[in-house]
Amino acid sequence: MFEFQFASITAFLTMTPHGLHVWSVYLIGLLIICGLILSVKGRHRRAIRQVQRKLELEELDES
Amino acid sequence: MGWRWFHQWGSPRWFYERAARWQWMCGWLALIFLLSGSIWGLGYAPVDYQQGNSYRIIYLHVPVAFLAQAIYAVMAACAVALFVWKMKLADVAMQSLAVFGFAFTVLALASGAIWGKPTWGTYWVWDARLTSMLILGFLYLGLIGLRSAIDDPDQAGKACAILVLVGTINLPIIKYSVEWWNTLHQPASLKLTEKPAMPASMWVPLLVNIIGYYLVATYLVLGSMRATVIMRERRSMWVKELVKRV
Repeated sequence: MFEFQFASITAFLTMTPHGLHVWSVYLIGLLIICGLILSVKGRHRRAIRQVQRKLELEELDES
Repeated sequence: MGWRWFHQWGSPRWFYERAARWQWMCGWLALIFLLSGSIWGLGYAPVDYQQGNSYRIIYLHVPVAFLAQAIYAVMAACAVALFVWKMKLADVAMQSLAVFGFAFTVLALASGAIWGKPTWGTYWVWDARLTSMLILGFLYLGLIGLRSAIDDPDQAGKACAILVLVGTINLPIIKYSVEWWNTLHQPASLKLTEKPAMPASMWVPLLVNIIGYYLVATYLVLGSMRATVIMRERRSMWVKELVKRV
């Protein structure tokens, strides 16, 4: 079950003749998922900063 | 105990405090599952006797296609929860899920198109499965657009919930499209009711990746929901105290 199916790393990377198709799919997948993770992290940070700014403005108004 | 576990979901604060831990757990588990499933599928699963190595696209295509549909089903459950129990979190979840549902639908369509070229000789055909998945993508896009077009969050939530419920008709069409119509698309690779046609050395890594992608989606949705909860509850005391501490 755990036998490497390619004769060499080069054969693994080229996956003749479908390397371009296989690796482009995984590259697109990686880019989309990394993009989503970064956007989620950024959204949370922005949300906290936005509320902090609003609170600061409220405190300024009160004073 | 009773229904307490269910009523807790009505509290954004309860959710926000716990979701950080759940998100952290899902993130690490997703990394472990996806790394092992992808390495296993790409390097150690046997070559397909008909499709050669191009079939290895299955280890991304099938999980994301499952997810694209599952996310819509979860949105439909959230729409029901919004109408029946008026749960604020159900609307927050719907808002977050639509974006990820759209992203995973795009990924399923793109990976399917690239797989289609060496297998069918074309990137795209107007076949029932592909077209119904494209409609799912437009439904997600419509939901994102509808929400941003309505200023009042309560009204936007209700309008989106109606559209989600109407759109659920597309889910059985996607699932049974390969049986109802003549299509180039192959039948489901994994079914709950039947033993898979492919050997365990092929379907076990697929299952590992399916779990991994579901964990990634949970990680993303929890993170996005936490950000939305902060914005929507910005006037409540607990959020004000929370942002002061950060």
